[in-house]
Amino acid sequence: MKFAYYPGCSSEGSGAEYARASEAVLEALGVELEEIDDWVCCGATPAHATSHLLSIALPAISCASAEKQSLDILTCCACCHSRLKQVNQEVRDDPALRAKISEIIEEDYRGSLNILHVTEVLAREVGLEAIKARVRTPLKGLKVACYYGCLMSRMPEALMSDKSEYPMLLDNLMDAVGAEPLDWPYKTECCGAALTLTQTKTVIRLSADVLQMAKQNGADMLVVACPLCQANLDIYQAEAEKLKGERLSIPVVYFVQLMGLAMDLDPKRLCLDRLIVDPMPILAQKGFVHGAVYL
Amino acid sequence: MKTDLTDKALHSEFRQKVEALSGQNLSDCYQCGKCSGGCPVEPFVEVSPTRLIRMVQLGMEEEALNSDSVWHCAGCGTCNGRCPMGIDIVRVKDALRKLTKKIHYKRGSLEAWTFYEAFLDCVRNFGRLTEIGLMGGYNINSGWLMTNVKKAPWYLMRNKLGVSPHTIKRVDRLQRVFKRIEEIEGQ
Repeated sequence: MKFAYYPGCSSEGSGAEYARASEAVLEALGVELEEIDDWVCCGATPAHATSHLLSIALPAISCASAEKQSLDILTCCACCHSRLKQVNQEVRDDPALRAKISEIIEEDYRGSLNILHVTEVLAREVGLEAIKARVRTPLKGLKVACYYGCLMSRMPEALMSDKSEYPMLLDNLMDAVGAEPLDWPYKTECCGAALTLTQTKTVIRLSADVLQMAKQNGADMLVVACPLCQANLDIYQAEAEKLKGERLSIPVVYFVQLMGLAMDLDPKRLCLDRLIVDPMPILAQKGFVHGAVYL
Repeated sequence: MKTDLTDKALHSEFRQKVEALSGQNLSDCYQCGKCSGGCPVEPFVEVSPTRLIRMVQLGMEEEALNSDSVWHCAGCGTCNGRCPMGIDIVRVKDALRKLTKKIHYKRGSLEAWTFYEAFLDCVRNFGRLTEIGLMGGYNINSGWLMTNVKKAPWYLMRNKLGVSPHTIKRVDRLQRVFKRIEEIEGQ
């Protein structure tokens, strides 16, 4: 199984641990990745909020490059995935737009590829059975609240044919590695997304609600698959605690980090030490890591 | 808020602009309120998504562009997912944001535009985004110099900031793409 890999900008900065852990898990499960040649930023919210054409042209540049590699695209970032998938579909369905965009980006682009999110590839292409067979240390007794956020569950065009109000992809993956996914109501609430810098108060309020609900449902950790959700939920926990007047302190972990842990992959490649709320105490308490001392 | 329902109000230039920019037909909205019911920021804003759409239907340009809900919208898409008429409400909000560019009604608009521009400048120059470039650009241009500075030690300690810009190979082509789009959209 081989895919064209779109790492996304966060893979080189705040979300590097997500990309590294995803690469490690995919490799262990026999998925090959070929990085898209000279990929560019998908433009995210700033592009689609300011210019419709730009929001199509930026993902189109990377997709056109992948078309040359004749491989379906795999991406880990929920935002990149949603942008790439929407653009691919829009261009495929609209010949006039296809011609216009191809002219703008100086390259022929047909919208011919499938754009897959890493959760889809793992749960559907690799398959839950294959994952179960690869588990060495089942994460028994680890209660996880799987948090999907907005971009993985909404935007009809970008849907991963999972239920939009109560998705199960992450829950199934966590179940496959032996953890205990919780039935909780805030799976698809919004964390505040790209308002981090401009409307920080809104982000703190929304993130605090999610964290508090996870805590009330007895979660040991929040499991995410989006670098922006991770950043918002992780970095503003002190402010969220102040707002709610209670101690939260819930590690916000990427699902691939836990999968890698269950598969006994090299801890260095899983980068668990890069999270702000340290997941090590709870992981050590449950007996999944030994003698680790982190900041 | 009371406004007279005239034929002129229903066919305002403002409404046509929003419809053209968003590609949505706003007559589809029959004000059921499902978008507001699901909106995560609705409790914190003065104008709910339902009312915002009504304002556009009635050509209430100043009220719509001035409303805080344009800037508190996180673009989560709950409204889109729940709209029984399939209106892409996020694109309607995107259209409203675009229309505020030259006006800057409230501070929220200025901050958001500064953020968008800092982000896109970084992409235009390097092809990819770096957090330090984004935050630096935003803090300097918005005048909010201390935004998230408190968080910097955490980021540094966890080695989370991509510091060096990763320039792509064909940055010249990318800059032509930006330029072409500006010409087409007449900015």
